[in-house]
Amino acid sequence: MSALLRVQGLSVRFGSTVAVDDVSFELERGAALGIVGESGSGKSVTCRALLRLLPRSARIDGRAAFEGRDLLALPEPELNRIRGKRIAMIFQTPASHLDPLMRIGDQVAETLRKHTEMRGRALREEVLRLLDVVRIPDPDRWARAYPHQLSGGMKQRAMIAGALACQPDLLLADEPTTALDATVQKSVLELLAQLRRERNLSMIFVSHDLGAVAQVCDDLLVMRRARLVESGPVRRVVAAPRHAYTAQLIASHPDRLEAAPPAALSGAPPLVEAKGVQVRYGSRTLADLIAGREGGFIAVEEADFSVSPGESLGIVGESGSGKSTLARALVGLVRPRKGTLVFDGAPADPAGPGRIALLREMQLVYQHPYEALSPRLTVHAAIAEPLRRHRLCPRGAVDERVRELMAQVDLAPELAARLPGQLSGGQCQRVAIARALAFDPRVLIADEVTSALDVTLQAQVLGLLSRLQRERGLTMIFISHDLSLIRRLCNSVIVMRRGRIVEAGATAAVFDAPREDYTRELIAAMPHLEGSAA
Amino acid sequence: MKTLRYILLRLLQAVPVLLGVSIVTFALMVATPGDPIRLLVGDRATPETIALIRDRYGLDDPILAQYVTYLRNLLQGDLGASLRYRVPVSQLIAQHYPVTLFLVIYTIVLTLPPVIALSVWSARRQSGVADQVIRLLGVVGLAVPVFWLALLFARFFGVTLGWFPVSGFGNSFGEHLLHLFLPALSTMIWVVPILVRNLRSALLDEMNRDYVLTGLSKGLGERQVFRTHVFPNSILPTLNLFAVIVAYLLGGSVIVETVYAVPGMGKLMVESILARDYFVVQGATLVFALTTILVMLAVDLLSTAIDPRLSP
Repeated sequence: MSALLRVQGLSVRFGSTVAVDDVSFELERGAALGIVGESGSGKSVTCRALLRLLPRSARIDGRAAFEGRDLLALPEPELNRIRGKRIAMIFQTPASHLDPLMRIGDQVAETLRKHTEMRGRALREEVLRLLDVVRIPDPDRWARAYPHQLSGGMKQRAMIAGALACQPDLLLADEPTTALDATVQKSVLELLAQLRRERNLSMIFVSHDLGAVAQVCDDLLVMRRARLVESGPVRRVVAAPRHAYTAQLIASHPDRLEAAPPAALSGAPPLVEAKGVQVRYGSRTLADLIAGREGGFIAVEEADFSVSPGESLGIVGESGSGKSTLARALVGLVRPRKGTLVFDGAPADPAGPGRIALLREMQLVYQHPYEALSPRLTVHAAIAEPLRRHRLCPRGAVDERVRELMAQVDLAPELAARLPGQLSGGQCQRVAIARALAFDPRVLIADEVTSALDVTLQAQVLGLLSRLQRERGLTMIFISHDLSLIRRLCNSVIVMRRGRIVEAGATAAVFDAPREDYTRELIAAMPHLEGSAA
Repeated sequence: MKTLRYILLRLLQAVPVLLGVSIVTFALMVATPGDPIRLLVGDRATPETIALIRDRYGLDDPILAQYVTYLRNLLQGDLGASLRYRVPVSQLIAQHYPVTLFLVIYTIVLTLPPVIALSVWSARRQSGVADQVIRLLGVVGLAVPVFWLALLFARFFGVTLGWFPVSGFGNSFGEHLLHLFLPALSTMIWVVPILVRNLRSALLDEMNRDYVLTGLSKGLGERQVFRTHVFPNSILPTLNLFAVIVAYLLGGSVIVETVYAVPGMGKLMVESILARDYFVVQGATLVFALTTILVMLAVDLLSTAIDPRLSP
């Protein structure tokens, strides 16, 4: 049987930058190929080059024969008859890849309108059927909704529905689950695996997550710095990687990370304690006041927890579960409507007058490293800012202290003059951590610090955090939607759902014998490297 | 129902705005030097006559009392009477307002097609020759003062070529179109570049959005993606600017109407200010304010109709 897609010597250049360098592979009909690599490795560009969805400045060379026809040389109108009809594509962030002003049903119908003669009633019914295929409940209602009214998972399903509309032979999936929560990711992966089985759909699945790829694909390409470094069946590559980079990638997967929770000081009084913390967003309207309601929207409800010195506490939950809000309440970025906080035995009000003193002891590191740093401050200036502002060291010693902090987070001294835009995500996150450490805090709150990073960088940042914790006796509150990270880093864990703490306890106890169904669901959704191909 | 409540709420919010406008104009007119009665009766009137008339118009009352009287009348729908023409202000406004409204709408109708055509043209070929030329002409259009351009147009098209009348309003719809063409054209010259710049940058922003990629991956082709996705998404920021400009056009009517002697609100306003015709100025200002509020409301409603995320 001849290959459905045969790519030979594919290269993509943006000016003098080589984004993809001489990549060749073949895809049989009905097969699924995974492409993994870190950001900037050229995996997405490879995928987009196949449909020529790159900016005009890109120069594409090589051949990509789809059923014998070279996609890279086809005239535009003919290519448009293949795009969407024979080869469809889904993208990473469904929120931005759907037109915000168009109803979901119309966006799904677009493909059908373009490639088929279907109109009117038949078209409507087909759209509803497609939404049903991708398991969107109550298709009639959601077809009329706008993208912003759908959850992330539903948006991705709607996008898949649009891609499947013309029953394509090949589906290009560009990081389709990266922006989704673990449970949603699991269901989308299952859907893709099922579609593969039932429709004999060929697939190219691009992801930085080996675990996700392992669940859907049988073959794997590993890319690094624009080049293909390894290829082969998923099981073989995972079991016996031939290239050093592949081995590193596999070793960085949370599944393979060393478990390193610190030994907690048992019996010590808790360092941070929250009692009945409630956070509401939005204010009371007049109508609320008359009706005697609290008003607004509850983000965190009655949260009680405590952290002992030297302990590391994990908070897990899906997006919207209130875990970040809780962290923000701890450092006074939002003011809790109710409840009290105790720090080191004394009541504390992070949003009140004692805020600055408290912040010296408790620092928050944010999720998106680029957004947490001012784009116009150099690394040196960013780290020095808190030192100067809070007079944390004598004026003359600032430079010396900055160098020390940079050394602690493994940042090379020559990076001091760079701006955040000239750094990688991992380096930026280190700067953010160094800036937090400048206060010499006792508590470090890490809010999804690794979720914007590649697995290899993620492993490095996690290694850094646990090293700092050991060396400085830091108490950590580690917020993540990724249970496998929590399991490896934390002594105890809190599971949050819809603003409530549904389960709490020692990490081992919660993971081995979860009491709540929801926790079980979360645990089951962790992607593993040994996942079987569909 | 929800929309209706929103409209009602917005109109309620307009009340304090109008009140503020009335206070400011009232204070300004009182503070302006010059005596309306002097202008009214002429130089030869005796002091007794002047005192009599001042008393009749209530101009000797304390200022606050004058304002309260004015406000009370206003609530009864009485805008007062013109000192100069001795007719109710409302009658003057009813006479002049439609002219200005016609001029503004005419300007808008003339403005929109070139705005859309030029911005789409320059956005689709960014940094191309057309883009550069359009930008250059835009800067020229913005830099040239309206009154000067109006004078040039009047001289060239009106006098030298004789294509268009250079003053007045005409009596039929066709005549209106002909009479107001030059005023509308000279206003348009500075409005078009502003809107083109805005729409062009919105189009360029939207052309780089992710959903464009989705559209292309569906095989829609660039033209269709542009028409069905990029363009509707680009309209919103320009629409908001448009609302501000419409408000500006109302105020700007003062200049063109004076130059072309169009009997509209702008001209009425200028003449009334010069004649110290208090009540006319106040009434006209209130009408301008009310119109601006209504235009803003209409644009906000239109925005929510276009963008479902902006529910009222």
